[in-house]
Formats: sequence, C-alpha cells, structure tokens
Amino acid sequence: MNKALMKAVKEYLVLLLVLGLVLITAVIEPKFITSGNMTNIMRQFGPLIMVAMGMTFVIIGGYIDLSVAGIMSLVAVVTLSLIDPIGQVGAIFVGLLIGAAAGFLNSLVITRSGAMTQAEGLFISYGMSVLYGGTALLYTGGVTNHLSYIESNYSLFTLIGSGTVGIFSVSFIIFLFLLLILYIFQNFTYTGRAICLTGGNKTAANLTGINVNRTIIIIWTISGFMAGVSSIVLFSRVTTASPVLGKGFELNAILAVVVGGTSLKGGKGSVARTVLGAMLVILLSNSMNLLGVTVYMQNVMKGLLLILAIWLDNLKGRR
Amino acid sequence: MANKENDIILTMTGVVKTFPGVKALDDVSIQVRRGSVHGIVGENGAGKSTLMKILSGVYTKDKGTIIFDGETIETTTPHQAMQRGLSIIYQELNLVNTMTAGENIYLGRFSEVNGMKGTHQKAREALDRIGSDIDTWTLVQDLSVSRKQMVEIAKALSFDSKLIIMDEPSSSLTQDEMKALAKIINQLRSEGISVIYISHKLDEIFDFCDTVTVMRDGKVIDTRPVEEFTRMDMISMMVGRSIEKEFPERPRKVSTPLMEVEGIKTKKLHDISFTLNKGEILGLVGLVGAGRTEIVRALFGADKIKAGTIKLDGEVVAIRNPRDAMKRGISFVPEDRKQQGLILPFSVENNISIATLKNLYKFGILDKNKERQIAEKHIKTLKIKTPTARTAVESLSGGNQQKCIIGRWMEIQPRILIMDEPTRGIDVGAKYEIYLLMKDIVENGGSVILISSELPEVLNMSNRVLTVCDGRINGEFDPEKASVDEIMAKALGVSVEGAMA
Ligand SMILES: Nc1ncnc2c1ncn2[C@@H]1O[C@H](COP(=O)(O)OP(=O)(O)OP(=O)(O)O)[C@@H](O)[C@H]1O
Ligand SMILES: [Mg+2]
Repeated sequence: MNKALMKAVKEYLVLLLVLGLVLITAVIEPKFITSGNMTNIMRQFGPLIMVAMGMTFVIIGGYIDLSVAGIMSLVAVVTLSLIDPIGQVGAIFVGLLIGAAAGFLNSLVITRSGAMTQAEGLFISYGMSVLYGGTALLYTGGVTNHLSYIESNYSLFTLIGSGTVGIFSVSFIIFLFLLLILYIFQNFTYTGRAICLTGGNKTAANLTGINVNRTIIIIWTISGFMAGVSSIVLFSRVTTASPVLGKGFELNAILAVVVGGTSLKGGKGSVARTVLGAMLVILLSNSMNLLGVTVYMQNVMKGLLLILAIWLDNLKGRR
Repeated sequence: MANKENDIILTMTGVVKTFPGVKALDDVSIQVRRGSVHGIVGENGAGKSTLMKILSGVYTKDKGTIIFDGETIETTTPHQAMQRGLSIIYQELNLVNTMTAGENIYLGRFSEVNGMKGTHQKAREALDRIGSDIDTWTLVQDLSVSRKQMVEIAKALSFDSKLIIMDEPSSSLTQDEMKALAKIINQLRSEGISVIYISHKLDEIFDFCDTVTVMRDGKVIDTRPVEEFTRMDMISMMVGRSIEKEFPERPRKVSTPLMEVEGIKTKKLHDISFTLNKGEILGLVGLVGAGRTEIVRALFGADKIKAGTIKLDGEVVAIRNPRDAMKRGISFVPEDRKQQGLILPFSVENNISIATLKNLYKFGILDKNKERQIAEKHIKTLKIKTPTARTAVESLSGGNQQKCIIGRWMEIQPRILIMDEPTRGIDVGAKYEIYLLMKDIVENGGSVILISSELPEVLNMSNRVLTVCDGRINGEFDPEKASVDEIMAKALGVSVEGAMA
C-alpha cells in the first residue's frame, strides 16, 4: 500500500508540482488567473512545447539535440527574408524544409562519422548549432529584421502569431494538431516503437533487424522540423526575426522533456508527458515573474529542477 | 580438527522473499560450514541468485533469520556485508568498463592501498594469485568476457573474506582459466575460507563441492554431502521429474548444401570457406577469441565482409546487414545476452516480438493482441518463468532471459539458426529443451550452426564439427568418429602428435 503510494507520487510528481504551483501563485498573486495572463501563458507555451516535442524523440532514441537553438535562428531569418521574393506560403514552406534538412544533416554527420554514442551526438549537435547560428548571423549581417518592414502580404504570419479561434490562439491549435500526429506516431506505428528500442539498446536493436541508422535519421529530422515550426510560430508572435532567436531554447526544451519524465538514458518516454513538463517550465517562469523573482534566481531554480528530475528518474529504476 | 569441521560460518533460516507476482524464496534454510565449498544448483529462476543477493545486501528479506560468523544480521548493505567478510561474484558482471582492470579490483579502496601505484601493485598480486596475466592497466572494455570474469574473481579475493559467493563464475571461462579457478577454490578451502558455488555445470559441482543444496521454485529440496548424489539424482531433483539422458538422439545426416561460404574475409577472418548442409547441425569449436563468433557475425551481416561470397541454395546473396540476413531466414542468438540480445528496460513481450515486429502492423497500427499471443506462446513452449508477459525482461533470472531471446528467433521460423553459446547460464532441463528445438528445426529442413565452449554439447549435437583457430577454419571432424583430444589439439593449433606427447 505504502509502496504503491510512493510509486504514484513518483509517477505523477510533475503533475502535482504543476497543480501546487498554480494554486500557490493564484493565492499569493491574483493577477495570475486573469485572462490576460492566461493568454500570455498560452502564447509562451507554443514555441517551447513544439521544440520539446521534437526533442522528446531524440532523447528517447538515446541522444540530446543542442542544435535546435541554431536551427530556430536560421529558419527565422531565412523565412522572413523570403516573404518578399517568393510570397508568404512559399517562405513558410522553405522555412520548414530548412528545419527538417538541418536535422537530417545532423543525423548524417552522426551516422556517417560513426560517432554514435550519446556524448558524441551531443557535441556534434552543439557544433551544428554553432554552425547554423553562425550562418544566420552571416546571412543577416547580424541585423534583426521586422515583419512590419515587409512590403508584400504577410497576413499568414499575423494569423499564426496573434490570431485566435474562439478562446484558443492559433498557435495552440497548431500545437494540438502536432501533438495528435506525434502521439499516434509514437504509440502506434512501427517507427515509433523502433525509436524506443533503438534508444534502449542500439546493438541489440541492430542485431534484431531494426534499421538503426534510419531510426536515427528520423528522430533528428523530426527534431529539426519541429524547431522550424517553433521558430516560425515564435517570430510571428514577436514580429521580429533575430539571428539569435533560438538562444536558450535547447536547454528549456531538454528541461521540459526531462521534467516530463522521459529518461535521459533513452528508450522510454512520451510526447504527452513532455507537454506536462513544458507546462511546468512555463508556469514556473510565469509565476516567478509575477512574484518578482529575478532572472538570475529563476536560472538557479531551473537548474535545480533539472537535477531533481534526473534524480527522480534514477530513483524510479531502483528497488 | 573435528571441532573446526562443525564450526558453522553461515546459517539462514526460513528466509522468504517476494517480488511483485513471484515468491522468489519460500522458507529457505541453509547452513554453510567453515572451510567448505557449498554448491547450490537449481533450475533457472529457482531463487539462487536472489538468496545470494539477500546475503550481500542487494535485496532485503521479507522474513527469516541470518546468522553470519556468530552474529545475527537483520539488515545489511553491500558495503557492510563486505566489511563483515562476505564478498560476492555476481552472475552479471559488475565492472566499470571505462576504468582499468587494476582500478576495478580496488574500486573505492584506493586510499587503503596507497593510491594509484599501490592499486596496480596490489592488483597485480591479486591477479598473479589466480594465475592470470591480465595487464592491470588494460581498460575493462577491452577485455574479453572471460577475462572480465577473471577480474571479478580477483576482486572478490582481494577482500579478506570469510565467505566468498560465486554465482556462475565459470559461465564464460576458458579451459585454462577454469583450471586456475579450481586451484583457487582448493586453496581457499585449505585456508579455511568458505565458498558458496552456484553453477549449471554439474561437472564442476561434483569436482569442487563438499556439500550440495538443490533448490526448486524458491524452496530447498535437499542438502547432502556431494558423495551421496548421483548426477541423475541431482538432475531429477532440480527439474522435479526423472530424466534419462542429457542429450537427445543426434539428427540424421543429410548432404544437400544449403549455404556455401567461399573465401570470406573480414577484419579478423582469413579466407573462411565451408558448406552448411540442409538439415544439419554444424558445430564450431575453438578457443575464446579464435574467431568463431566473427564467422557467424559475418554470415549474419553484423560485421563487414571485405571479400568472398555467400551462396544460399546455390545462388550468390548479398548480406550487408542483419536485415538482409533475416529476410533470407537467418537468425542469430548472440553470446552476450545483456549487451547484444535484450533491450533491458522493455517487457518480455516486446523483447520476444521484436524480430517479427514489422508483421504485427495492420494499416500502420500495431496489433497488440497478436503481440501478446506470440509472447504467451513462447512463454508456454519454452517454460519461461515470468509473472506476466508485460514484466520487464531485466527482472527475469539469467536463464529465463536467454529463453526470451530464443523465443524471439523461433518466431521467424528460421531456415538457418545461428546459436552462439545458447546454453550459457541455462539449467539442465532447459538445455534439453533447447537441444530438442534445434532438432526440430533441422528435421523440418532448416539448419543450425552451433558455437559452444561446452565440448560435450557440440560433440553430442553436431553432425559435423569445424575447428577454428586464429581466424581460420583448420579442420573438419565427424564427432561420432573423432576423439575429443584430436579435435581439441586442432582447435589449439598444435599437431596431433604434439598434443599426444
Ligand atoms: N528484481 C526482481 N524483480 C522481480 N522479480 C525478480 C527480481 N529478481 C528476481 N526475480 C524473480 O525471482 C525468481 C528467482 O530469480 P533468481 O535470479 O534468484 O533465479 P536463479 O535461481 O538465480 O536463476 P538462474 O539460474 O537463471 O540465474 C525469478 O522468478 C525471477 O523472475
Ligand atoms: Mg542466477
């Protein structure tokens, strides 16, 4: 009985934390539950959760993707610059393609170079992030561009950035749509299972007929693509495409995934739980903002949260 | 002297341990005399390792008393157990791969031996004592499985222990290492140190042990001095029914070629050529590291082939990766189940379904009922001991984990089944069932390639035996006609005359 309770607490700790946080903040600071703040939270939620969902697959597959920051920056500046020459639909299409292609390139470097351990993957993705981010800076000469300078029609971006359908923001609907697809992909398809098995034991997966290289290519490409989507949603909202737009997103995404209960050891995890993790991360910064906690202190808290999540994950494995 | 003989080092009484869904130990009592070698035998999942892990503090008992060296022990941690004078060699290796052999032996005790220099000095002595020439500066990850096991043994001996537990220490030792282990055990006995020895190899039990306890289903069936057991007694006590023989009839001989291998070269292999016939069991014999595993890995597409061809039914086929091999009906039970076979955090059913996973998707969606049915089928036919199909495979006993891997490959109904040390860590009853499975496959027109370090197994099961030495095939024998000495001499790479002398 006691053991079962302990297990439930460990399993749902994140959810409990989210609820507790909401309650405490709502009591101390009534501004928290105003509709203005709720909209605010929903908006912040969009870009983070999208990167984090992609990241979930990479982490389940046994890797960590630091390149999402660079990909986000690159996609934003290129997409914005293409609206005038090729129109807004074309620009979005090319932007998403660049995201996916960048992720694909990461996986090629990993599989071709044979540097297939988690640590090697981590550093390769870090290198790629610097490369993509650097390209973004080169491309723009370091200048931040604004949507409002665009001469042709950019209504689509306005819609993505600040449109609503009923009480939901458009970005939230995009999120729900992607969640549904990724959830089905992860839980019901062959490739979804293959990703988990590869993350669980690459050697054994290969020796039982799973195409490990293909799986690795798929997870990184998903992550790159999701970083691209996130980038477009984010710069549509802030209406500017800075060449350092993605900075910090990689760590927040990893935090969301791990807090959600996906193990850094690989093999196990779920996109649905990453949503909870991302919610906690956003609520945490939002309530700390409202409570007047400094940014420095917020970083300390985030660091602690990451350590706590990894610790808990290790406790789960024990008997 | 007589007094000393009666001196008891360990008494466990009424020990009970339950895991979710299994009663692993049910009222177990056992007594070990000082300076004796006490064997424990029993089927896979009988509870042997669990009993030892309770002693060493990895698990806590639910009930029962333990008296060690005159002291009643309620709870203990692995560290405390060591300090009391109890050390253990676990069934699953527990070394830090990225550290050197020497550091592993004195892990966590560097200060006791004066830092790094002392560590390597002392580790050298520990290894010398067991007659091993492993360099203390080699990283553990670069050692073969058998050498890793020797490092574990050296480590366990480096504590001043009163009782040393060895849980299947010999499952992958070479013959020479085995001899060294025998010497060590005799020496320990003469020093008055007790040993608990767990093994599925009954020869060793009869060679080493003074007293033997037989366990079944978490209970002690009997404890007797070893002289009072016959081999067949012991086996029937373990499996709970009588068994007449250890090997089934050898399958009949056939000679239509199924697979022809010509001039295969890889990093470690030179010019490998042989033919595998339809309906035949082909044994590969050689020392650990001779290249047996490399040969079958090349056939399965796990290692890159640099030159040479493989023909199936007379046609040249390209096998670039395991998937190509599986498409042709080749399957492979690897030697290291934890690293190469199982996906540990996953359930029994996930691990069994994996080789045929693709066929379980209908319109892109997994048919989970079918997955369950497949798993249940193999759990039943192979008698895999597990609470449910959904149990994590890592909580199964070693032998039952191996059965999961075999079940996985039976599901693809292989034409060629490659088995690399398939019976390592498997109990006698289950071994017999695996032999029957092999026979079943060949009688239905398939073929088996068998690698085993247990000579009796290869010699009794195979239709033909190839010896492998230094990355080459250097001999072919008919196991019904050739003598063991002849075959071993070839495998060792010495001429027959030399071996006889
Ligand atoms: N950590 C665990 N969690 C759940 N069940 C376990 C755990 N460890 C062991 N068991 C179960 O307890 C039983 C006894 O296992 P144990 O490992 O002691 O067997 P064993 O006699 O050592 O077998 P083998 O010869 O295969 O090594 C098995 O049914 C096993 O599935
Ligand atoms: Mg065991």
